Amino acid sequence: MLEPLLGSLNCERVLMFIYGREEGYPREIARFYDTELYPVRKQLDKLEAGGILASRLAGRTRIYTFNPRYPFLKELKGLLKKALSFYPPEEQEQLLMVRRRPRRRGKPL
Amino acid sequence: MKAVIEMTVGELAAFIASQLDKHGIEVVLTGGSCVTLYSRQQYVSADLDFVERRSTRRKDLRKALAGIGFQEENRYFKHPETKIIVEFPPGPLAAGEEPLKDIIVMEFATGSLKLISPTDCIKDRLAAFFHWHDRQSLAQAVLVAQSEEIDLNEIERWSRGEGKLQEFRKIRKQLVGEKAGKK
Repeated sequence: MLEPLLGSLNCERVLMFIYGREEGYPREIARFYDTELYPVRKQLDKLEAGGILASRLAGRTRIYTFNPRYPFLKELKGLLKKALSFYPPEEQEQLLMVRRRPRRRGKPL
Repeated sequence: MKAVIEMTVGELAAFIASQLDKHGIEVVLTGGSCVTLYSRQQYVSADLDFVERRSTRRKDLRKALAGIGFQEENRYFKHPETKIIVEFPPGPLAAGEEPLKDIIVMEFATGSLKLISPTDCIKDRLAAFFHWHDRQSLAQAVLVAQSEEIDLNEIERWSRGEGKLQEFRKIRKQLVGEKAGKK
């Protein structure tokens, strides 16, 4: 949907994932879209170098979020919000509806 | 002209900025090295962060800096005579959502250096403190407030715009207190 503007489908996917989930790591994003890891990593690197995303290490996993210091963040999120509203309802739900509350280690399903 | 190894942080920054200017690349110093300059080296930054006023092709930047012995390694530029690394973070020149427009010019024997004002330097540091809870950035903001005349009302106005007025009120005393102590 935003691919013509962003120049890449993977760039749209990465931004939309971070918008929907607030954070994400490369393998998680690639798995969600059932795509290769390398192009996702490449987009995350590019967006971090451009100051749009920021990352931190949690153990051995690098987790990406929007960079709160990016001057056009509010406008970017506005654009992503509108684009997301045009996504099929099931894809919107998949992006937004994710368990956030803690789950004790070892707890049976 | 001094050798790079003998240059202070300010002299080195001015040397680089002047070289870039000769190639039509206008840059403004931002980040921790501004704290170094304003705090009279009470805090020493290990890198020089320059923001380009207009987008420049990387190869032009590379060519200009190669002329004074800097080579690119990953996203940074290094010189064999100094441990200080040079970086060009993505623009625009901003603190949070606002552009930074108050540019100061310092003159050194090695050239002219444009840098963000002390008040904007504090906004830049506080942005890191407000958004990432980075206490080192707050300490740097206090160092600048101790050393330079700053506009606290302007910082308060900016904090409100960032949605961080409550956070600013909690640390205002540190900025004002240190300054009052100095006087």
